[in-house]
Amino acid sequence: MSNETNDQTVLTKKDLRRASWRWIRVGISSFNYQTQLAPSVAYAMLPSLRKIYKGKDEDLRLSLDNEYKYFNTNPWIAPLIFGATLAMEDKDGVETLDGVQSLKVGLMGPLAGIGDTIIWAMLPTIFGSIGASLAKQGNPFGIYLWVIFNLIVLFFIRSREFEIGYKQGMKFLSTYSDKLSIFTEAISVLGLTVIGALIPSTVSFTTPLKMVNAGVTLKVQDILDKILPSMLPMLLVGLFYWLIKKKNWKMTTVIWLTIAIAMVAAFFNVLTV
Amino acid sequence: MSISIWQIILLTIIAYLAHFDFNSIQLFTFNSLIWGLLAGLIMGDMKTGVEIGATVQLMSLGVVAVGGASIPNYPVTAIITTAIAISTGKGLGAGIAIGLPVGILGVQLDILWKMFNGWTAIKAQKYADEKKYGAMQSMTLLSTYTAGLVSALPVFLSVAFGPSLIKAILDFMPKWFTSGLQLAGAMLPAVGIAMLLIYMPSGKMMEYLLIGFVLSAYLKVPIIGVSLIGLALMYHAFKELSKKSNAVVEKTDNAVTESNTMIGVDEDE
Repeated sequence: MSNETNDQTVLTKKDLRRASWRWIRVGISSFNYQTQLAPSVAYAMLPSLRKIYKGKDEDLRLSLDNEYKYFNTNPWIAPLIFGATLAMEDKDGVETLDGVQSLKVGLMGPLAGIGDTIIWAMLPTIFGSIGASLAKQGNPFGIYLWVIFNLIVLFFIRSREFEIGYKQGMKFLSTYSDKLSIFTEAISVLGLTVIGALIPSTVSFTTPLKMVNAGVTLKVQDILDKILPSMLPMLLVGLFYWLIKKKNWKMTTVIWLTIAIAMVAAFFNVLTV
Repeated sequence: MSISIWQIILLTIIAYLAHFDFNSIQLFTFNSLIWGLLAGLIMGDMKTGVEIGATVQLMSLGVVAVGGASIPNYPVTAIITTAIAISTGKGLGAGIAIGLPVGILGVQLDILWKMFNGWTAIKAQKYADEKKYGAMQSMTLLSTYTAGLVSALPVFLSVAFGPSLIKAILDFMPKWFTSGLQLAGAMLPAVGIAMLLIYMPSGKMMEYLLIGFVLSAYLKVPIIGVSLIGLALMYHAFKELSKKSNAVVEKTDNAVTESNTMIGVDEDE
């Protein structure tokens, strides 16, 4: 492993800027229900990864496959993570892929929490209410103020986050290089804790079924909640894990199965959002 | 109604830009004001446009698309409301009665489009595996450039053919289809999470998965809280693992091990 490590990194500031603008260009537009923002991540990283894995096709394939795994966070601060993972791959190649994956999964939850609260909820509320109250008086200045603010953030912060993440990642790597494998394993702990919380918070459906027994109406969901809250989402994740891992089902098949279950369940009103 | 063809075209274009921007550059994110203003300019009455934009903005304060949730399409509401209010001369009330339902109809279209993205995502990864990087990028860009249609289509239909067509579309869609779409949207993240679990050391570290689940499902701890506990657990694991690796390296001198671990965590030499 130590033989693979090289101090000859290939990415330049130009590559990182390019990755930034690619990320801003596709943004959250590739959002899908299975892997969420993963296609945008792969798109943004492609040129940098091709440069890192020049002449190593199989390594590039492994690295890209890694980028196509479930990822979702606030798009305005996500590049901080990508910069750091690029630093890892630039330094140590595919040896670090487990670490890259754990870092992405471990940090996407906290960054989404911070980013969505500040960037999605706070800023539009503040600028929206300023803009709207001014606009009600026939003054469009508040609208321009918001756009100007976003432009400043776009050009001075959002377009540079890849560089910041990369620089900090490199600094971390050169300081803790001997502890990297320990770090990788430790951050999996964070990652799995976050995934555990993702199940009840992102897979959200319940059953509206009722049982009438001797004149008493019982809500099935209440009974399920008493046994285990979010039992249905957990069972669904468990079922899919089993189908994909043990039964070798393809992801596409599982997706079609989900849509079919959803349609039938909605038709008979067995499940609801 | 007196909306000319070029106005219909321009309104459709700004609707396209509104959703395209929201999904990519995000310069006008959650900003209904700007779309009311632009629609007002197109309709020749900027003041009314700004006023309607402000009303829609206030309606949508605090309604945020977190984690890819589908929310009513407020820019669409602002554009249609402005167009109808100005063209019929019946003011904000008449406009919003049509603009808001169409904005909500936009949610269905948004879910359908995100399912379409599921297909482009699978295709893109397949092309990546086959080293067809051009095709891989095109598939992702297909998502980027179709995003705008989610807003452009309902705006075009309602300003070109009037609100009756939108109402007919809404009535045509059976209840089980629309609620089935929403249900599928809520269930599908389970696929991605299952895939994550397969790639992470979930069997070896099952306990942490359980801790995260309990914190969120039973105690309703928000994701940042869960992450902080995750960080604490991570730090603990890091210390334990460093201790173990130091113990291997320096098994001859046990006394040094502990002090080394401390240094190793704080600032590595």
